[in-house]
Amino acid sequence: MAEFPLLSWITFIPLIGMALLLLVPKNNKTAIKAVSLVATAIPLVLATWLYFGLFDKTTADLQWKERVDWIPLMKIQYFIGIDGLSLSLVWLTTLLLFLAVPLSFSISKTPKAFFALLLLLEVGILGVFVSQDYFLFYVFWEIMLLPMYFLIGIWGGPRREYAAIKFFLYTLAGSVLMLVAVIALRIDTGSFSIPYMMDLAGQGLLTGANLPGGGELLGMEFGTWIFWFLFVGFAIKVPVFPFHTWLPDAHVQAPTSISVILAGILLKLGGYGMIRACFPLVPETFRENCSVLAILGVISIVYGAYVALGQTDFKRMVAYSSVSHMGYVLLGFAALTEWGYYGAATQMFNHGTSSAVMFMVVGVIYDRAHHRDLNGFGGIAQVMPRYWAMTTLCFFAAMGLPGLAGFISEALTLYGAFIADDPTFKIYVFISMMGLVLTAAFLLYAIQRVFLGDLNEKYKDYKDMSGREIFCQAPLLFLCVLLGVFPYLLLDWMEPSVVQLVEFLATQG
Amino acid sequence: MGRIAPEIVLTLLSMVVLTWDLVTKGRDSRQVGYLSLAGLAIVGYLLIDQWNGLRNAGISAEPTPVFAMMTIDTFGIFFKLFTVGSLAAVMLFVLSDKRERKHGVGEYYFLLLGAGIGIFFMVSTSNLLLLMLGLELLSLASYSLSGFHKSEKRSAEASLKYVIFGGLSAGIMLYGISLLYGLTGTIDLIEMGTGDGTSWPVGLAAQFAYNPAPVAIAIVLIFAGFAYKVSVVPFHFWTPDVYEGAPTPVTTFLAVASKAAGFAVLLRFVGLLFMAEGVDATVAAYGDRIGMLLAIMAAITMTLGNLSALRQASMKRMLAYSSIAHAGYVLMGLAVMTPEGFSAAMYYLGAYYLMNLGAFGFLLYFEGVTGSEEIDSLKGMGWKAPLVSIAMVAFLVSLTGLPPTVGFVGKYLLFVQGIEAGYGWLVIIAALNSVVSLFYYFRIAKALFLSEPAERSVAPQPILTGFLAILAVGTILFGIYTAPLQSWADSGTASLELVNSAK
Repeated sequence: MAEFPLLSWITFIPLIGMALLLLVPKNNKTAIKAVSLVATAIPLVLATWLYFGLFDKTTADLQWKERVDWIPLMKIQYFIGIDGLSLSLVWLTTLLLFLAVPLSFSISKTPKAFFALLLLLEVGILGVFVSQDYFLFYVFWEIMLLPMYFLIGIWGGPRREYAAIKFFLYTLAGSVLMLVAVIALRIDTGSFSIPYMMDLAGQGLLTGANLPGGGELLGMEFGTWIFWFLFVGFAIKVPVFPFHTWLPDAHVQAPTSISVILAGILLKLGGYGMIRACFPLVPETFRENCSVLAILGVISIVYGAYVALGQTDFKRMVAYSSVSHMGYVLLGFAALTEWGYYGAATQMFNHGTSSAVMFMVVGVIYDRAHHRDLNGFGGIAQVMPRYWAMTTLCFFAAMGLPGLAGFISEALTLYGAFIADDPTFKIYVFISMMGLVLTAAFLLYAIQRVFLGDLNEKYKDYKDMSGREIFCQAPLLFLCVLLGVFPYLLLDWMEPSVVQLVEFLATQG
Repeated sequence: MGRIAPEIVLTLLSMVVLTWDLVTKGRDSRQVGYLSLAGLAIVGYLLIDQWNGLRNAGISAEPTPVFAMMTIDTFGIFFKLFTVGSLAAVMLFVLSDKRERKHGVGEYYFLLLGAGIGIFFMVSTSNLLLLMLGLELLSLASYSLSGFHKSEKRSAEASLKYVIFGGLSAGIMLYGISLLYGLTGTIDLIEMGTGDGTSWPVGLAAQFAYNPAPVAIAIVLIFAGFAYKVSVVPFHFWTPDVYEGAPTPVTTFLAVASKAAGFAVLLRFVGLLFMAEGVDATVAAYGDRIGMLLAIMAAITMTLGNLSALRQASMKRMLAYSSIAHAGYVLMGLAVMTPEGFSAAMYYLGAYYLMNLGAFGFLLYFEGVTGSEEIDSLKGMGWKAPLVSIAMVAFLVSLTGLPPTVGFVGKYLLFVQGIEAGYGWLVIIAALNSVVSLFYYFRIAKALFLSEPAERSVAPQPILTGFLAILAVGTILFGIYTAPLQSWADSGTASLELVNSAK
């Protein structure tokens, strides 16, 4: 069936936008903003249409597939498609990138280059979410790095050069190991198609038998090294403790809109990569190492929250909260139950909305005060009531207060982990509960220091949030509430894929 | 005679250029440059014609050696075209570099063409004597070229260092060749490989059985000569100093054309001796050990090259060390000892051509602007000369080996061959090395764009800018559409008629 190549359009419209942007004279700021807005709005509209209209949520099969030869000599295909696991993240990507444009209107240093790189970044991210060919996946995965490097490095804070190269080096270190594993998989299976590799793995045929020495590398068995090489590549992106040290620097130095994208989407790429292109290829090794992953997840949860509690820099605190929240994702994956996966998948989406708002919140106060020292504020609630209300709502969502989105995903994750076959998971759940308490502690402590208490005289002239700022935050906060009340708006779409994936991971290989 | 038409034309061209320069001495030497470029175009046309003829005939058409010495095959033509392309680019650099005009630049072209003739002969022979002669012709021209700025101390120093190192390693290599000749009774690589020891010349097989030690010594000595030419550790010490001291266009020639020629003879040497069809089984069995030797050299070369590049403040020195590291990557393709590996190595050399010419062209561009080779002098220049700088970012991405560039595909192909041959450890070392290289390559990107815009204004250099833009487009295009370069590399390897040694 010759379908309309919808996914290609969604992915590459930003690239067209970027080409158009390069033609706009650099002093015409209105045109630059307009082109960027339109180039990010069209994918959002198309993705929304895809989500609510075109996507068939009753099947776990890949939909909107496109498959043509790209480099026939190496059997590399342009193979893209979408299923319940990637759909919500594609939509979130288009939404956050669209919101990032008005959020960046205040950028004064060569906005043309900024928006061009932003659009290129969107192509890379969307490409990863839709790729079903591992080579293509890898190419998009790497294409993201370059614009991110420049976006942090040119428009970032005082230590931007250090943060940018640190981000680049960490991620590249992970992805070169991934490349080695991908090549080995390609040689063993004779194909780059991820679904095909999954099929073989399901039949227990992905064993490295076609590689010299049975696929052993540095004394490790094929399944073992493939799993760890891929896992580390993705874990750096998530980031899982102990690979998280690039994150506070990158988040703190990046401009607000880039922090939003980093926390909102880039971290999800790691989690998504694991369930798309790591665990299903070596399910047996994955099952053997579930406990290790769960422990890493629990450490991330507790450690991230604990470190966040000790921060005095507002943005650094939010950055560490991401480490903590993404720990739930890993715990949910490791639990290997359907509930755990529902929890992890919704947590990825909900953290995408709540952390994005948190970074916007930091951006709002930073634009006014030009510092982020938590101890330097106080009483802001008196002059900026709307800001206070929105911040509190967002923090409550992040905290996991019932009725808001974070509660659903964290509760599902912990429940999923609690009913895991391995009884030790009950201990992990118990420890993670302490992470929840710590999360509440550092968020409330932050609210107290920024908004409550006596108003500092310096801040009494501050204007409340502008229309543009509200416009950027409101849709995400709306989602936090909506998905807290009607979580099935996410769950229904991912159900068939999650059920199939969990059954595959638990039994195959 | 038609089969060596390119060589004849090139030789005549060099004579004409020399005479023309003498006759018009003192006048604008750019005419000589244009004449050389036009001549190179003819040579290029002849080569492409030959290439197509050979490709259409298929490998079944056995090429008979010219004068029983020169083999005209697609492998040689691949590297001849490579050389013509590099020479043309280098001449373009000389033409667009205003500072070169004061140096009596006419001989430049003659010497470059002379080096080209040397390469033409060395890449198209299996005869060690002719190979040595070609190599020496190339070396002699390179020595004089690197000392071209006679009045500059570091240029003279570079030339002297190059002569001493070059002379020494040529001697070592010649000694190795003489040992091989004494042992096997022939100076032809094919006869050495295929001789079964029952008739004259005896070939390597018999000697491996009775005298393995002298054979091993001879081969290692010859490797030393090649290793010097392609600057593989531990024969790399001359590289940074010579690259830094030589005029930038000459550095470009040394880093691109001369290095590729070195690899061409190394590929032919290893291929014909150990992997060609009809090679005696005893000899082929030694292929694995040679492979291991090359793999270890590759690992050390890329690691040392990259680690040394980290600390360089001068961009020229940094590129010198980076070219050492890249020699290590190419060696990976040889180490696997398969035709596919050789093809991957040739692909990588093609990629190397695009990205290194680009990087050196960029260096030349900014030497003209700032008069300095320091990376720090580039600060904020990206905002002043955006087109060139964006092109440079493409070259840097490719040098690091990130998609979607030709450098990535090159590395990918090498990695595939490495894993297929069981050299997983080498692939991991190479992969981690690209992370290291990212750090120093992106110091240039950092200086260009991450600093505040510079005060200095940049005079436009349209020819160089256009050339760099074309190279950048090629770097990205060949990274997405890989088929042409791959099929060229494959046809080149095919003419060596290699077979997989029994693993």
